[in-house]
Amino acid sequence: MFLKNRNIWLLAPAVLLIGICFLFPVSWLLQRSVSEPVWGLQNYITIFSKTIYLGVLWNTVAIAGVTTLLCALIGFPVAYSMAHSSPWIRKVLIFSVLIPFWTSILVRSFAWLVILQRGGILNDFLAGIGLIAEPLDLVYNRFGVLLGMVQVLLPFMVFPLFSVITRIDGSYFSAATNLGATPIRAFFRVYLPLCLPGLATGAMLVFIISLGYFITPALLGGRGDIMIAQLIFERIDEFGDWPLASALAIVLLVGTGLLFVLVNALIKIRGRGI
Amino acid sequence: MTKTTPKGGLNRRTFLKTSLCASASLAALSIGTRGAFAAVDLSGREMVFASWGGSYQAAQETAYCNPFTKATGATVIQDGPMNGSKLRTMVEGGQPIWDVVDVTDTFLAANEELFEDLDFNIVDASPLDQAYVHAKGIGCIIWSYNIAFNTDVVGENAPQSWADVFDVEKFPGKRALRDRAYPMLEIALMADGVAPEDLYPLDVDRAFAKLDTIKDHVIWYTSNSAAQQLFVDGEVGTGVLLNGRTFDVNKKGAPVDLTWNQNIRSIDYLVIPKGAPNAEVAQHFMNATVDADNQALMANTLAYAPCNPAAFAGVEESVLPWLATTPENAEKGFLIDAEYWRDNLAALTERWTEWKLT
Repeated sequence: MFLKNRNIWLLAPAVLLIGICFLFPVSWLLQRSVSEPVWGLQNYITIFSKTIYLGVLWNTVAIAGVTTLLCALIGFPVAYSMAHSSPWIRKVLIFSVLIPFWTSILVRSFAWLVILQRGGILNDFLAGIGLIAEPLDLVYNRFGVLLGMVQVLLPFMVFPLFSVITRIDGSYFSAATNLGATPIRAFFRVYLPLCLPGLATGAMLVFIISLGYFITPALLGGRGDIMIAQLIFERIDEFGDWPLASALAIVLLVGTGLLFVLVNALIKIRGRGI
Repeated sequence: MTKTTPKGGLNRRTFLKTSLCASASLAALSIGTRGAFAAVDLSGREMVFASWGGSYQAAQETAYCNPFTKATGATVIQDGPMNGSKLRTMVEGGQPIWDVVDVTDTFLAANEELFEDLDFNIVDASPLDQAYVHAKGIGCIIWSYNIAFNTDVVGENAPQSWADVFDVEKFPGKRALRDRAYPMLEIALMADGVAPEDLYPLDVDRAFAKLDTIKDHVIWYTSNSAAQQLFVDGEVGTGVLLNGRTFDVNKKGAPVDLTWNQNIRSIDYLVIPKGAPNAEVAQHFMNATVDADNQALMANTLAYAPCNPAAFAGVEESVLPWLATTPENAEKGFLIDAEYWRDNLAALTERWTEWKLT
């Protein structure tokens, strides 16, 4: 309320930054995507008529989707434990979740190679204890990409969840069980819906950041693990094909925006239902 | 025009120059002759040299830029790394900040309009093998894609042909191949029995059909450093690797070696972007890269091959077997057709991505 009138100028730096660093370049991209080589939608037609672009777009959404799901499955117990542990344990957990942030993405990806490749630490260990006879293919495939991405993106899921979970009053859950719900039923009907805002924020963050991933799929992926950012880079770097690259970027941006609106609407509907 | 003298010898020109310019690099002067670049005085002038960074650009600085500065007085500022889109944007915007840039032969072929013509009144390219001279660029190094292998993994019977590399019975396990149509289509066709002289225009369908036979036995790479690691760790027994990268790990003691059979040569050109602020200095700089001593120095530093035949006199014995232009290596391979790729790179890259998705 307070901000609405008198102190609106507080937003000036942010508005300026977004205006200069986001809106201007994006409108430039948009313009190039419809004005070159001639005015029209030819670049978009190319994207939506060729299997390569549709295939890569689908790949991108699929990889981002599975990454988000895995982050939720792994991140939820972590956030829960963080919210319900002693301050000291909590600090250790926060620290462990943040560690991947402090290393360069290249180092991290190469480290995964050392661990996961056929002659890597993990395969050597598994062969050493006699669990496997032949080394497993743990990298240069979709599995490697997902592992690398989940590790990096987990904090984006854990922290929004954590902040929501710490604010949930434990007595709701107790009330549900006292009234006869099994713990599982109480969890899904009472606890989980209360976590939903955190889960939704985390999922949006992870999903949207995943869509733009680039180095991880290039280094840890296999033949088919190509994401849209790699194609955009290739179009610009190797061919100077700004119009098509711009169109791809716009498709990604609009798609992400639509998804954001959709998820927001869904949460509102769910919110009313509870 | 200029004649080489045996290693350590002095001819008239070198002698004159040495006496005139006592501070000149002794390392560069101890062998062969001085090129035409020594004759001009460019003191107070400067130019910006952009290349690929790392040990490669450091070697170029040692072999080309420093001798040029010592001989002419012009300052050479190092910049980079070279990036195609950045360069294109600079030239299209009319404000390039680079005066000399290191580009690959396909990039030059596809973007000729971005570069100045060489002024052959200034640039004397006559000492060079003319296969490596372009109207807009001087071949500064020749490199090649080779069949490489880890000797611990493949044992006594190392692969000798691309057909071997594609033979999953003979060489089980994975092979490291480059994740690009260029030069994988040539490689696939040679593996299918096509002779180098019959490659162009490429039979693309046949190449992809051949690639289909090994698609699940491959680790695809785009980063050359990642590729080196695959060979060093023995993650792959064989595959394709740049000759300089193979030299690099071999010298560091890794059990990685190569064969020159069916090698595919490529050229890096030094070019002058259109509108370069110091284009005139840049034209003179080209002579420093033509110079036999400088090319020899480059080869001795990084094993990337000279295209001035006179440079071989100055190349160390131990480096010769690693160079793509050493005559016995060169005759086992061929020079990639940059014009073919200029015309087809975009379409084939799209098809390549499509193929990978299936």
